[in-house]
Amino acid sequence: MKTAENLSTINYQLSTNRRFVWRIVDFAIAGIFIYAGALKAIDPVQFASDIDNYKLLPWPVSVALAFFLPWLEIFCALGLVFRFLYRGALSILSASIVVFTLATIAAKLRGLDITCGCFGHASQHWSFPSHLATNLAILTALLVLSFKATSRNRLQNAA
Amino acid sequence: MKSSLVGQAVILAALALLPAAGEAIYFRDKISWRSAIAPSEMVTVEQARGWGDTAIWVDARPEDEFATDHVPGAISLNEDQWNELVPQFLAVWAPGKKTVVYCSSLSCNASREVAHRLRKTTEPPMENVFVLEGGWEAWLKKKR
Repeated sequence: MKTAENLSTINYQLSTNRRFVWRIVDFAIAGIFIYAGALKAIDPVQFASDIDNYKLLPWPVSVALAFFLPWLEIFCALGLVFRFLYRGALSILSASIVVFTLATIAAKLRGLDITCGCFGHASQHWSFPSHLATNLAILTALLVLSFKATSRNRLQNAA
Repeated sequence: MKSSLVGQAVILAALALLPAAGEAIYFRDKISWRSAIAPSEMVTVEQARGWGDTAIWVDARPEDEFATDHVPGAISLNEDQWNELVPQFLAVWAPGKKTVVYCSSLSCNASREVAHRLRKTTEPPMENVFVLEGGWEAWLKKKR
């Protein structure tokens, strides 16, 4: 009996530790997106110019996105922190990283020498490989969090 | 909150729209929805001509286009040869002067980029740097 109780306690502890670790990841990712979103929200004029430099969208659309995207990032990041609209937040953040990464690769292939705009003008001196590596690391973390959230959701629905 | 993934995404997008709309109103004088250049930084040919000798004309087009023809008295300054050409601009510039940058037409970006770079050339940032609306094409039309 005592052995079973001890095992149960150990399992509970491990489960709690794992949840704690994943919450740290939530907070770390949220911190990155709140920082990135705030930098772009402070200077939407520059961000509109950064989007326009990709030469993919008409100028009015670049302006609209420059106002909208930073706040979307911030609200999604807050969703990660407070576990509010969590899966939706993860999906939007994942999609935004994928789109920015593909746009950066496309610009590079077209020979455009531009800044990603991901962290406003703070990242203007980053090299292309640095941008790519950072985006892929963040995307990996988001996808893992999404997978865990989906699994948890399925278990809850099955119960 | 038990709602679908799409529903959650829609709610987040709707929440983000509110401060985004507020910012768009707050920044309405600093950004033009029609053009990449703020209205306060754009001048017409007539306005720029009216400044007479207080204006320095800067041609942001490639060297060969400048050599073919340019605004009389204009200085060539493009991004490709920036370090080579900027000293000749700084030699004629003075704080009270207005700088008018032009490239080929309304749709080219070179004048915007050169104007932006010029503003950052000095400390404190250079003031009275403008982009010519319509560029070289507009100058030619007014010349006729």
